[in-house]
Amino acid sequence: MAPPTGPRAGRSNRPSQRGGTHSGTRGGGIGKRRGTPRTDRDGDVPMDSTSALNPPTGPSAHSARGNRGGRGGRGTRSSSRLAQNVRNYVSEQDGTARNAKPQPNKATLKIHGLKDSKAASNSDGGLRSLLDFLERKSSKERPITLGRGVIRGDHVWLKVNQADVPHLLRLNGYTYATAPLTIEETNEPIPGQGSKSTDGPESKPSETKDKLLAVLASRYNVEQKLLDLSALGADQTLFSMGAFESKALAEKSFKALMRLTATHYDSPAEKEAGIQAVTIANNDIHDVGEVFTLAHTLPRLRRLDLSGNKLEDLSKITKWRHEFRSLEELHIVGNPVTNLPNYPTQMVEWFPSLQILDGRRVRTPEEAAEALKAWFPAPLPRLPSNLRDGGNNVASTFLGGFFSMYDHDRLALARQFYDDDSAFSLNTGTESASNAYHNYSRNLDTIGVRNLSTQQRLFTGSNLIAELWARLPATRHPSLDLAEEWQIDCHTFPSLADPSGQGSAMGLAITVYSRFEEVDPTQQLAGTRQFSRSFILGPSKPGAPHPYRVISDELTLRAWTPQQTPTAAVQAPAVAPVPTAPVPAQPAVLDDVTRAQMIEELCRQTGMTPEYSRLCLAGAADWNFDLALRSFHEKRAELPPDAFAAPA
Amino acid sequence: MSANSHETNVRCSCEAAKSFVDWYYRQVNDAKSVSPGYVNGHAAYDRAGHPPADICINGLVVATPQEWEKLLEQQRQAPKQPDPNKRRVRYEVEGYDVHVINADYRFGAPQKMLDLHSPTDGVRMMMVLSVAGTVYFGTGRNKGDEYWEKQNFHDRFILVPNWDVIEKPGARHGRKYLIISHNYRAN
Repeated sequence: MAPPTGPRAGRSNRPSQRGGTHSGTRGGGIGKRRGTPRTDRDGDVPMDSTSALNPPTGPSAHSARGNRGGRGGRGTRSSSRLAQNVRNYVSEQDGTARNAKPQPNKATLKIHGLKDSKAASNSDGGLRSLLDFLERKSSKERPITLGRGVIRGDHVWLKVNQADVPHLLRLNGYTYATAPLTIEETNEPIPGQGSKSTDGPESKPSETKDKLLAVLASRYNVEQKLLDLSALGADQTLFSMGAFESKALAEKSFKALMRLTATHYDSPAEKEAGIQAVTIANNDIHDVGEVFTLAHTLPRLRRLDLSGNKLEDLSKITKWRHEFRSLEELHIVGNPVTNLPNYPTQMVEWFPSLQILDGRRVRTPEEAAEALKAWFPAPLPRLPSNLRDGGNNVASTFLGGFFSMYDHDRLALARQFYDDDSAFSLNTGTESASNAYHNYSRNLDTIGVRNLSTQQRLFTGSNLIAELWARLPATRHPSLDLAEEWQIDCHTFPSLADPSGQGSAMGLAITVYSRFEEVDPTQQLAGTRQFSRSFILGPSKPGAPHPYRVISDELTLRAWTPQQTPTAAVQAPAVAPVPTAPVPAQPAVLDDVTRAQMIEELCRQTGMTPEYSRLCLAGAADWNFDLALRSFHEKRAELPPDAFAAPA
Repeated sequence: MSANSHETNVRCSCEAAKSFVDWYYRQVNDAKSVSPGYVNGHAAYDRAGHPPADICINGLVVATPQEWEKLLEQQRQAPKQPDPNKRRVRYEVEGYDVHVINADYRFGAPQKMLDLHSPTDGVRMMMVLSVAGTVYFGTGRNKGDEYWEKQNFHDRFILVPNWDVIEKPGARHGRKYLIISHNYRAN
């Protein structure tokens, strides 16, 4: 019998391994793609080898099906096929794109004859049906799956597993769609299309990266936060790198530039702040799809210049219509699309923040803010403090004394407003373990509700509370007069227990949101920490110094932000004037550790010796760091040279 | 030391807090109703004449839980956004803490409950719960999804026993504690 002819697979009853869609090679339904199923004597298909060897004992069909049964067998089959496909794909990528890695178990086949076959007129040049044909013919003993293959000149180039080579070489001389096939193994590299990356064949990737980074650097305007990518085709560096030899290469080069731009910044926020404007004018762009990556690299771009390109109509811009939600200014002049009557309306519709189009104002900032609302969920409006404390201003009076005492005399504070039943705990959210509060944090989300710490970190009674407070970093809250620094909500509520044991009493729930300055003891840095604090006030027991007491005090600490420079640390106290309330001469809250830290920090900031720093802090400044720093700056000229640790 | 910090009460309050937090933020994130969590409309409290829950949202006093739900709905609006992963509002709880503030809570309690549970049984508790976290706007369903904007949020709830549920022996369903006060701030 003559060699099998054509893609219709004369003799073979083996279905295609490829599952192609080409009409001439369709190998049947999904079920037929599997290898020849084994059948038992009754013609039943065994579910898997295990079940074939061990007939089910009793009514355990359920387990055979559920655990290792049909699904298992089929899964293994398809997953191995998938794995092979992936391997083939990857190896092909390696072969054509990099051409570098030696692949010991891969061989390259060169197949001639497709050009002369009838299949050559197919849309893909007949490649797919040829591969189907080869798969089918070669899979006599075991299924063989082929990779994608490429047509280069008169040949089809194909990477295959070494083990499959003999099976495929056997097909040499077969007739495929009226043309004889020549199949040979070769050591020649597959002639590439994408084998040339932007850097040309010799240069290394790192050099390319450096060159591209230099291009980016030279095109970045730091004042305007503008990345000028206009007329890239005229860029000598890029041109010399061969970045524009083809359309595909030009797009790749642009992607590479975008990738480098993105990796250059540590966080999206930094990127956003660093690049606010981009121009890609005069780049011969026909469709924004060619530079689509820009939208993903810089999603919050404010100004974009597309002028002088070749965008013909709105369909060439549609790919970006769900991008650039922050775009305020857009220039498209010099593109044919601008002549269309509905062009401005469409741009305004697509880009909700757009205010200036081709130099004309199309929206006010307010209108833009309103338009953007339709695109993203927006936070609820914020109102100032809501004080409903029953007309006696209990909350204002209480808080007015509370925070200045918390900053200066925590022991006295605990004695005044807390009794044996008062509870205090703090909670630091998910912040890193390095902060001073971490070991006391009663965050039920992180320690777990059954942890013993839920008891240990609940501080009950004024003594325990004062003891804990003494261990916490020194703080400085802004004055309550600065209303914008504080959000205080409070209201009264019924049904607290009356301390007399008779009936119930009204309580006052106060929730405070603000920030305080804090010297972080672990880093010896001054910084600001946001916090919220929830108080439950109730009537005091008889004989207490105040008619009300704190029943519950929950402090929630937020992120701590360091102050950038020592200068900032000096300026910051302006927000928090020294309280005029009588303050004890020696704040009890400062333990020796905190003092040592303050001394160290003052040394660092002033260059004074530890001894002089201590004197400066202990003197008129009364362990107030900012006062000490201020007095240092005032008296700097009078200080003897030996006050400084090293000659200035 | 008062009954408020009794071991059983501390344990029960922590467990109640966890169950409440899990439920509440799941409802909010799934755009489901949170109204049943408030004291309003619960029979035992209605009968005893308890005032409606005090709800204060970013400084605005809101009359009913339904109005708060409307605000949440308003916050979720993004009619033009085609991408479901840029349309959501997601609350992520990063920490919470609870104190018992009245271990001998009696309001609206059936006599049976007063007889049955002493103040150290971890049942008749009035609690204050603080929850802190981050709220993401214009994001997807999952943690770590990209977002358009984020804020810190802080919720403070005062919770009281839900007699209707606790009273039934072996009650497994329904909220065991109800909100009588809710303070919300997002910055």
